[in-house]
Amino acid sequence: MSGNGHSEHPESAVRFGMVIDLDKCTGCGACTVACQQENNIAFRPDESNKLRTISWMTLYRLENGQDYPDHRVAYLPRPCMHCDSGHDAPCTFVCPVNATKRDETTGFVNHIPVRCIGCRYCMVACPYHARSFNWWDPKWPETMEAMLNPEVSPRMRGVVEKCTFCHHRYYRARDAARAAGEDPDTVLYTPACAEACPTGAIVFGNLKDPHSEVAELSKDSRAFRLLAKLHTEPKVIYLSRHAWVHKQSDNGL
Amino acid sequence: MSLGRRAFLQFAAGAVGGTLLTPIPWKLADDSAIWTQNWSWRPSPEPGDLTEKATVCRLCDGGCGIRVRLVNGRRAVYIKGNPKHPVNRGGLCPLGAAGLQLLYAPYRVQQPLKQTASRGDLGGFQPISWDDAMKELSTRLGALRSKGTPHSVAAVTGDSRSSMLPLWRQFLTSYGSPNLFTMPSEADSKAVAASLALGRPADIAFALERADYVLSFGAGLLEGWGSCGHMQSIYGSWREQRPGKPPVVLVQVEPRGSITASKADRWIPVNPGTEAALALGIAHVMVREKLYDLDFAAASAFGFEDWFDAWGTKRQGFKNFVLAAYKPAEVSGITGVDPQRIEELAREFARQERAVAVWGQDAGATPNNVYHDLAFLALNALKGNFKRGGLVGLMPEPPLGALPQPVLDAYASHGLSRDRLDRTAPQPPPLSANAFHAFLDVMAREPAYPVEVLLVHEANPAYALSENHLFADAAAKAGLVVSFSSFMDETAVMADLVLPNHAVFERLDDVIGVPGAPFAYYALAAPVLPPRYNTRHTGDVLLTLARFLGGTVAEGLPWESYESFLRERVQGLAAAYRGAVAKDATVQPGRLEAGAPVKTNFKDARDLWNQLQQGYCWYDAPADPMELLQTASGQYEFACQRLAEVLPPIPEDRFLMPQFAPLQPSGDPGEFPLLLMVYSEPALSDGFYANPPFMNKLLPDDLLLGNDLFAQVHPRTAATVGLTEGGRALIRTPRGEAAVRVHLNPAVRPETIAMVRGLGHTAYDEYIQGKGTNAGGLVEVQMDPITGLGTVWATRAQLRRA
Amino acid sequence: MDKALIPDGLKRCPFPIFALWLLALLAVIGWGVYAGLTVLLKGLNVTGLNNYFGFGLYITVDLAIIALGAGAFFSGFMYYGISRFFPQLKELGKIINLAVIIGFCCYTGALLVLLLEIGQPLRGWFGYWHANVHSMLTEVIFCITCYAIVLVIEFTPIILENRKLDQVKPLHVFGHSLHELMALFALTGTFLSFFHQGSLGGVPGVMFGRPFAYRTGFFIWPWTFFLFTLSAMASGPAFTALVCRLIEKATRKRLVDHNVYLMIAKIQGGLLLAYLIFKGMDTLYWALDTAPSFGQKLTDFYRAPYGMWLLFAELGICGVIPAVILLTPKARENNHLLFLAFFLDCVGIGINRFVMTVQAIAIPVMPFDEWAVYVPTWAEWAPCVAMLCYGAVIVSLSYRYLPVFPQEKELNR
Repeated sequence: MSGNGHSEHPESAVRFGMVIDLDKCTGCGACTVACQQENNIAFRPDESNKLRTISWMTLYRLENGQDYPDHRVAYLPRPCMHCDSGHDAPCTFVCPVNATKRDETTGFVNHIPVRCIGCRYCMVACPYHARSFNWWDPKWPETMEAMLNPEVSPRMRGVVEKCTFCHHRYYRARDAARAAGEDPDTVLYTPACAEACPTGAIVFGNLKDPHSEVAELSKDSRAFRLLAKLHTEPKVIYLSRHAWVHKQSDNGL
Repeated sequence: MSLGRRAFLQFAAGAVGGTLLTPIPWKLADDSAIWTQNWSWRPSPEPGDLTEKATVCRLCDGGCGIRVRLVNGRRAVYIKGNPKHPVNRGGLCPLGAAGLQLLYAPYRVQQPLKQTASRGDLGGFQPISWDDAMKELSTRLGALRSKGTPHSVAAVTGDSRSSMLPLWRQFLTSYGSPNLFTMPSEADSKAVAASLALGRPADIAFALERADYVLSFGAGLLEGWGSCGHMQSIYGSWREQRPGKPPVVLVQVEPRGSITASKADRWIPVNPGTEAALALGIAHVMVREKLYDLDFAAASAFGFEDWFDAWGTKRQGFKNFVLAAYKPAEVSGITGVDPQRIEELAREFARQERAVAVWGQDAGATPNNVYHDLAFLALNALKGNFKRGGLVGLMPEPPLGALPQPVLDAYASHGLSRDRLDRTAPQPPPLSANAFHAFLDVMAREPAYPVEVLLVHEANPAYALSENHLFADAAAKAGLVVSFSSFMDETAVMADLVLPNHAVFERLDDVIGVPGAPFAYYALAAPVLPPRYNTRHTGDVLLTLARFLGGTVAEGLPWESYESFLRERVQGLAAAYRGAVAKDATVQPGRLEAGAPVKTNFKDARDLWNQLQQGYCWYDAPADPMELLQTASGQYEFACQRLAEVLPPIPEDRFLMPQFAPLQPSGDPGEFPLLLMVYSEPALSDGFYANPPFMNKLLPDDLLLGNDLFAQVHPRTAATVGLTEGGRALIRTPRGEAAVRVHLNPAVRPETIAMVRGLGHTAYDEYIQGKGTNAGGLVEVQMDPITGLGTVWATRAQLRRA
Repeated sequence: MDKALIPDGLKRCPFPIFALWLLALLAVIGWGVYAGLTVLLKGLNVTGLNNYFGFGLYITVDLAIIALGAGAFFSGFMYYGISRFFPQLKELGKIINLAVIIGFCCYTGALLVLLLEIGQPLRGWFGYWHANVHSMLTEVIFCITCYAIVLVIEFTPIILENRKLDQVKPLHVFGHSLHELMALFALTGTFLSFFHQGSLGGVPGVMFGRPFAYRTGFFIWPWTFFLFTLSAMASGPAFTALVCRLIEKATRKRLVDHNVYLMIAKIQGGLLLAYLIFKGMDTLYWALDTAPSFGQKLTDFYRAPYGMWLLFAELGICGVIPAVILLTPKARENNHLLFLAFFLDCVGIGINRFVMTVQAIAIPVMPFDEWAVYVPTWAEWAPCVAMLCYGAVIVSLSYRYLPVFPQEKELNR
């Protein structure tokens, strides 16, 4: 962990991040489904065009390239990395209308769909494909409109969207802390994916708190980050005991 | 003219300039932007107070605790795992996470429907009032009873681990029919095996949370085997890296490179269907090298050594049988596993302090060959796993309130005196089991008596059954088909009457036991929302029917409502005054040994009921299988004396013991050179519930693209028929034919075709219908010769370019 | 029929023929407008774009057409700006009107296509209102609109030279005054366009998550910033010359002196050579230093259908060859070779814009990710083709009714 992204933000004691243990991940997809339910992600009758689907938490299948019976797969859930690089993330750097910004007190890379003009520059700039475009008007079967979460607005056609680390939960937790007379700056919360994961593969918390589970796991010998060489400084850290998985974390490894 | 033009130009220029100075264009621009942010056709969910209600998920039998978030108490908007629940500890499976898409599915049946045209005609369904529907059904049932043919009523339920099953049994028994079935499951054959070896027809349980070495023979531990949420949680704990904690080793024996195989520490690829032979090979090495539990074999087991039967004939015991018949070299020939590796595996398994062998096929939706179940049981017996503190046992039954003994009137006695329909086949198998396939087979051919009414509850056999066309063939012979489904599924479509159940989350249910888990478990699934539609709990419908029928039937089912029935059951549980309510995840019932003390923490029935209603579960320590033994010998039987009783006079020794006894798939290997094997994906619901749209989104495009299903084929196998990635192909088996595309997948064993279950629905809506092919329609079901259970392991198949 | 509007003493084809030509162009434009409306009403799902290819044909064509429209700013810069130091550049006055008109067409056309490209066109003005000063696209939005306004101002006096309009006294005065100010506008335009071309180059160059596109640079500007500007300068006047030649062929007239072409050839040849040197250095530095620091080899970036052939086509066939032709006096004297060189030059720049837009995002950055291929649909082709036709309409109308070529009368006596 180079962690040099952190030194850029000395003012805040909070940097939310995620550790995903790929040894525990079984690729069941509960995280992705929970994310869709929590964030009112639109779906269509045919979702098999993977280049047009909206996905905040994408499950990638990694293969070790060997033949039967040495073939192995691993699954890699990919939320938004909430890049902590320098003064800007790849996407926030390029947005012409300030629709996507990093909140420097928490590290969230936010996206405001109602301000987005849909130029897709951020999608092009993101090496993780963490962003999806609303190619169609979102449409739910009428009976399913009842299950929409009021805390997250459904997006409109023509804008980009992506994982927010479920920041609405954070703001809800802050509100609750304030109401309870506690310090809102110290609240912790769990995003939907981490909450749903049945094997406990996804851990979420404050990377800047050295005693937090995420901070400790991020120093694990199995830890790696995706495309570390690009210096995007992702705040999502992966764990794996397999060399062949590590090898696919970056080019030229 | 020119003046006019000039004036016009000046005016136009002035107008443009003037307008730009007014707020109009700026306001319009602003308004248009605001408009794009508030498109009326984009739904805006109603805000309100957020509350959470804890309950237990009933989308499968797993028994996971969940919390459902509600808006203004009216709308359910999110399901999360209950972190205080010991089964899933806050986790969820994808189906549970997508559960609201089932509650709010557009294909819900909104009121009772009656088919007025020919069967299967969707347009022919007409709404009918509950009163009329109940009158119609009860009149029909009453008439059959008074005609003396109550046995011509049959029922199948997919709810085998809730109080609905005993209620169905009570209803049909009081009514007078022996024809009750549950949807096939591996528990069917395991119960038979348990009754042979241990004398109890109970499901087998594994203390996986206490194991440090898990040898899995084909069980799709991560594909949904057992309780999905529980199993995933256990797997997560195996991979927990904590100092001082020994790593848990998972060894997966399976022909296909499944997810479990990939995530296992070791994967032993075997020839399809030969897992049991490998288990016996391991047993051989353990016996030969005296690595087995000598105490157990000597003191607690029957038939390990040679023995004498009731006629005084000397019979070969398991020890000599396995030493003679399953030498590693021979097992290697069967399984394809190197003999050296078999020896190593056996020593490794024997050496571990807490090693357990689990087995099953994939997610566990199909019964197994009983001899193979016995082989895996025997391996565990050699390891001493049935001893106190061992890792294998029988699923304990919570001491729930018992149902009253049904009073049988003459009609009922007459009906019950008739053989269950599957037992009327010319040569019924020696042991009776939940042989639903056999039942359908008899029904579709020349039944001893016709089935006048076929009741289908929480099941969709027309789709989910292997060889699913069997159901359609049988249903065509039925006088009246009644579906209690909440959904317009394939079975409901072919019903004459649909009496919709409340959906999960709308109804009160219970869960008895966690599949595959050793501890005693009971939970209530309290409804989180009132029913959305004009539906009724099937339990209440049965009670109403019983009242309509009157007499001893009504006496046998005296409860006012399903809720009062469940209350009575919980009263029994409270009265037994044992076990405890798990209040948080620090309680780990899975780590308890048999007989471990559990401090009861509820006051009375009322208190227990209230706590269960709040989403807490009741648990108790596992049962000691040796204490429950009810075999003739009073010991664990390696050689099953019960088989000696039921099999034809003086069977060969080996037919009483675990053995590798594969059933040959039909078809000419020349014509069908490959083997088709179906499998489950964790992210694809293949049971009663159709895959919800959220999960459809998870399917990779090399599994489903548009409406094309991709069969998974090894690159070399594909090459032999000239297929390349994505190529269109035809799969033909002795049972059917399907057009697919192929994905070249090196995880699949050469010479086999792997095909996923859960696609190819013909019912439901545009999000589900017509996507892919139902693999269940291609596979061959083979009746186990001992039990008649419909087993599936592989089907001969042909693959060619389309 | 429309004689009264045609500049004095010039011959134009009969009106019906001209009308037919216009009708044909308008038909294509109609098709493009229909496609555009379809995109606006149904959304971008009718295009071939997807989450991997956020940019596609629209952006490629925009970038290419704006590069080729650079003839306006660069000719203006040479003519108005530095001709006092290099008097021979005065010759460019003979073609400067056409350069301005082409620039106008390219920029306004590009703006129209850009409107389709964004998912929420009604929020297009957010670029000014909520501008993010770090974003190269903000620079693009500001420069492209400002420069389009400058081009309108530059085009206006040319329009006002129309015989009928010129008779209107205030317009005549207005047009004449504008003429006086043209140098100022031309230089403003030069500044804007320089930045604009550069910021278009910055668009790929700043994407530090995209190893194919990313470039190190000078201060806040990546090397592509300068390369785009230089390449636009090296191809814009060539495009003007090419269009001029096309008009000459179509009208069977001579419109400018041959030495004008030759001068453009020399200028383009020199600039193209300079561009190729810098581009070569950039490519080498990128291939040998930047990309390896991201763990990637040059060969990682090229795979069918976006193979190495693109690099050879861009820099070899459409780079070195035209540069050699244009710089070899003997070769450029040959008209066929001369215009072939101009053509290749323009194609090369087009390929460059395609490569930096589409190929740049075809490359999977995550090692386990897949190569994707982008195929535009009719809804993307139609507006782009229509935009070219729109340019043709403007040029045709201008040629017919405005004294675009000061030499025309003299050369066709």
